[in-house]
Amino acid sequence: MGRILIVDDTLFMRTLLKNILFSGNHDIVGEAENGEDAIQKYQSLQPDLVTMDIVMPKKNGIEALKEIMTINPGAKVVMCTAVGQEQMVKLAIKTGAKGYIVKPFQAPKVLEEINNVLKS
Amino acid sequence: MKTIPVKFEAEGKWISAKIGIDETTIHLPEPINTQIPIKSIDNVQQKKNLLIISAAEKDYRIATVPKALAILKRVILMGCSGYRLMAFFMSPAIRGGVMVNDAEWEKGAVTVLKTGIWFVSQNHQICIPIADVSAIEQTKREIQGTDKEVVKIDHVESGDVSTSFVLCPSTTLQVLYNYLTDATKGSSLDGELDPLSGQVAMLVYSGMDTHSIEGMLEKSQREIDAVYDRMLGLGLVEVVQTRREVKLTTKGVRFVTEAVKPPTPQ
Repeated sequence: MGRILIVDDTLFMRTLLKNILFSGNHDIVGEAENGEDAIQKYQSLQPDLVTMDIVMPKKNGIEALKEIMTINPGAKVVMCTAVGQEQMVKLAIKTGAKGYIVKPFQAPKVLEEINNVLKS
Repeated sequence: MKTIPVKFEAEGKWISAKIGIDETTIHLPEPINTQIPIKSIDNVQQKKNLLIISAAEKDYRIATVPKALAILKRVILMGCSGYRLMAFFMSPAIRGGVMVNDAEWEKGAVTVLKTGIWFVSQNHQICIPIADVSAIEQTKREIQGTDKEVVKIDHVESGDVSTSFVLCPSTTLQVLYNYLTDATKGSSLDGELDPLSGQVAMLVYSGMDTHSIEGMLEKSQREIDAVYDRMLGLGLVEVVQTRREVKLTTKGVRFVTEAVKPPTPQ
């Protein structure tokens, strides 16, 4: 079980992820709808793991990831991406993301990935 | 000519025999005693250790051990009449939205037959049934530092939605894409889906049950039922379970009333 911060600009995707993570006995400690909000909430909530959308207003997921990795080099961030954003994913992994999931996703696989990253 | 020990079906019976095979022909002995030119084979289906070969509008059922089956399939898939090209493939690359850890590009052939897309490499023979293909897309993917055009095939595999990629020279990639699009057009959506139905489809895809969907979208059971009806009409879903709503009869009310009564002191 982990304390997770969900970052996505759409309420629908946040709600979906929240439901999936709840079903895997994880605690959702917060939600953020853009990169700036994510950094603030990361500092105040200190979650075990962050699920981070890439394309978001204000500050995108890659920029937010960079700042989170500066704050905590051991941060566990899993990127959520749409198909066709492999370049972004590669950059995210280089920047320090510990995993990624591709939208649309299926609950059991998401939980498997999240649990693997939490254990790592 | 190589010989392979098999069982094949003839006149409703399974016959144990050795069949002959070379690059051009399969020889089935008595009681069928026929030569099947490999070029005349236009479809291959596999069900566990059983191979169903279709040639000249006849089906031949051959069962054997996995190693022998692999030899048989390789010869057939490399010589049969289907759309075939040499390519690199990765199958599956993504399963349920998560990258498959040990996925790697394999060099081999892609053979498109009536009911399946076959990937054949030195070590693997993978079939994606056409009926299980949910999307075909031409897209870019970074390979060894450069963006390359690939064909992306989304398919359902043991209940999981998986993605496979095919990489080949750009001259043949468009042909492959067109061929696959045509072969799978039966599963394309005719018409558009309204936003609510789209959200419901996404939630079903993610594994949410009806109760969760109602809660997440703040919709009543009746509204979600109406969406399901639209999706059923479009052939996007099938009913796997019907949930029932009940109300207590007088007998039921009496049972509950009795059950909550404090125990009578003795």
